Amino acid sequence: MDTKELYEKIAEGVVEMEEDTVVEYCQKALDEGLDAADIIREGLIKGMDEVSRLYETGEYFLPEVLTASYALNEGVNLLKPHLKKEVATTLVKVVIGVVEGDTHDIGKNLVKIMCESAGFEVYDMGRDVPIDDFIDKAVEVDADFICLSTLMTTTMQGMKDVVEHLKERGLRDRFKVMIGGGPVSQKFCDEIGADGYSADAASCVRKMKEMMAEKAWNSRNQKR
Amino acid sequence: MPEIKDITTGKKIECNSGENLLAVLQKNKVYVNNACNGKGTCGKCKVKVLNGDVSEMSEAERKMLTSSEIESGIRLSCMVEALGDIEIQTENDTTAMNVLMSGYIPDFEKDSNLTGYGVAIDIGTTTVALSLVEFSTGKIIAESSCMNAQRAYGQDVLTRITYEIEEGDKGIADLKKAIIDSINAEVNKLCATNNIDVNEIISYSIAGNCTMTHMVLGVDARSIGKAPYKPIFLDSQTRNAVDSGFVGSKDATLYTLPQVSGYIGGDILAGAYVCDLKNKKGNSFFLDIGTNGEMVLSGNGKMVSCSCAAGPALEGMNITCGMPALPGAIDSVVIDKEEGKAKVTTIGNEAPKGICGSGILEVMSELIRSELVKPTGAFVKSSKLSEDDKRRDLLIEDESGSGCRLAETVSVTQKDVRQIQLAKGAILSGFRTLVNKCNMEDKDIDEVIIAGQFGSHLSAKALTGSGLLPKDLENKIEYVGNTSKTGAYMALMSGKVRSEMEKLAKEIEYFELAESENYEQLFVECMRF
Repeated sequence: MDTKELYEKIAEGVVEMEEDTVVEYCQKALDEGLDAADIIREGLIKGMDEVSRLYETGEYFLPEVLTASYALNEGVNLLKPHLKKEVATTLVKVVIGVVEGDTHDIGKNLVKIMCESAGFEVYDMGRDVPIDDFIDKAVEVDADFICLSTLMTTTMQGMKDVVEHLKERGLRDRFKVMIGGGPVSQKFCDEIGADGYSADAASCVRKMKEMMAEKAWNSRNQKR
Repeated sequence: MPEIKDITTGKKIECNSGENLLAVLQKNKVYVNNACNGKGTCGKCKVKVLNGDVSEMSEAERKMLTSSEIESGIRLSCMVEALGDIEIQTENDTTAMNVLMSGYIPDFEKDSNLTGYGVAIDIGTTTVALSLVEFSTGKIIAESSCMNAQRAYGQDVLTRITYEIEEGDKGIADLKKAIIDSINAEVNKLCATNNIDVNEIISYSIAGNCTMTHMVLGVDARSIGKAPYKPIFLDSQTRNAVDSGFVGSKDATLYTLPQVSGYIGGDILAGAYVCDLKNKKGNSFFLDIGTNGEMVLSGNGKMVSCSCAAGPALEGMNITCGMPALPGAIDSVVIDKEEGKAKVTTIGNEAPKGICGSGILEVMSELIRSELVKPTGAFVKSSKLSEDDKRRDLLIEDESGSGCRLAETVSVTQKDVRQIQLAKGAILSGFRTLVNKCNMEDKDIDEVIIAGQFGSHLSAKALTGSGLLPKDLENKIEYVGNTSKTGAYMALMSGKVRSEMEKLAKEIEYFELAESENYEQLFVECMRF
């Protein structure tokens, strides 16, 4: 089996949500002497890209994305020990979590998966996260984005609080704040002065990529 | 000062320039459907602006309206500011709903030597149902129902709690006043038509979910809306009714049923009591379906409960062609695979305009049966069907995605199916978790008890065909009606009932579904049709 075929098998395994297939071909790829980072990028991530495409067309939904991500994670776990230690410097960093007062985290997990498969470095804060913990973490890891999720109208205010606390701490321009979840809307995003809203996980990641490409944002990044 | 004239109600309202239109209408009691309480997510607060000076339409608002709506002057009132005199047309208030009044009442021991009259009330988030009771005979002499006027502050429990969060003490007072005004108006009417002096009312008994119970007593409900979802009180409450704002004799008492938790309230406790889950032989699963699916499983010597966020999809919100149960609403459908036809029935036999809440599950069930929707929830692709497969005639495939046509102007989209799937996954995952907690299997369930207004309209076939409940349970489903009001009635009539209820509330275990182990995986499995 040639390299291309191996990568395709791995990608297919992710799309078909078959953990065993993914693990089997990742092992084969390693045995062939392929680079672990290449296997992740050309196999696993390619597969996950296809999963997000299917999600956007409505063919796939939450269960398929989650199940595919379980398969992907099995592959990553196998490959991780073989990764060379160099860390890409241009990596996009994301701090993500469910705002204080809310314990519903499936939507957040979906965005996390999509971010990871887009190659972002994700710091998952979990659920029911105190407002300032998001900011502290973002400062600590020098994040690009703070992604906030909630399913309940009662806890939406927490998103506004994050934006306000960022302003108070003089950090507003350092991070882009993305918001999402059932009761959240573009209107709300505009009202609280967050940077982006998206209705689903795939478009959230697309929006983040667009933002990263924006010039002003990039030049600020370079200065840092 | 700009003046707003609404030609539907004939009201003329003055407001400040730049004031939010929805807020002004709300303040002046012009009802506008407003499920999300002005958050800009539901797209239901449509108002036609006939003329006058209003703020420009934002991109966010534009996205939520169709081009023909925009052309005809429709705006979402939560995103409109009144800048000068304007003339508007609000949609008609649709209060003409059938409220489920009656249900099964078991035999029980009534207190003796009581005189005068009492009122038993079920406070639902949407509707309020009341019984006027004559103590000397124990008879319900009249019943009535009305909309819960709190809906002006949001459709569901969470949006109303949000109103308290945003408005503080004023919000708590507004919500209390709204529900008490609703109740007093009905009680006055009931007394008048039955020639009873209001002062002869000596007690009230109220069952409602935990939030409604807090709000009617004017107690802060905000903590119910945030993790760890702890209410201020769980126990039954006894107050002076008149001091609490109710009409009646100056010594009249007000009793509210005890709660199990922030999300298993007095309404469900009433149901568990009325159905005697505790003493029943065999294993019973009790379910009340609404925005939250609340459930209790009894068996193997214990009672376990949980509540799941089903969302508003099952009631027709968030569904493209969803509509209230009014004439023209599709309430059932048979999909004929061979002919490629959807045969619908509608309320009032009128031309189909949309799908009502209960119709949505009927439709979903048929989409699964006819294999137009796969077990994953995705519509089949017409390219995957053979040339002569007549189902092709029903499938819609365009740039906005897949769907199925039910009538000329009514269809179900892939997005709709996904919304239903989330609700179904939530309810089924609750069921599965309870069954596991009691060390049972599906086949051990002897009966499924469906309580509440909404559930009474759902057929056993639709409940299992759409996968809300396992197929094997189809023949075990029974309907008990409004057990919340029945429970309030029994508590009104009997001190023994009240003390048994208080005991029962402590015996029912409750757990937070979203926090149970491996919940995500279970939820995902339960989303399969």
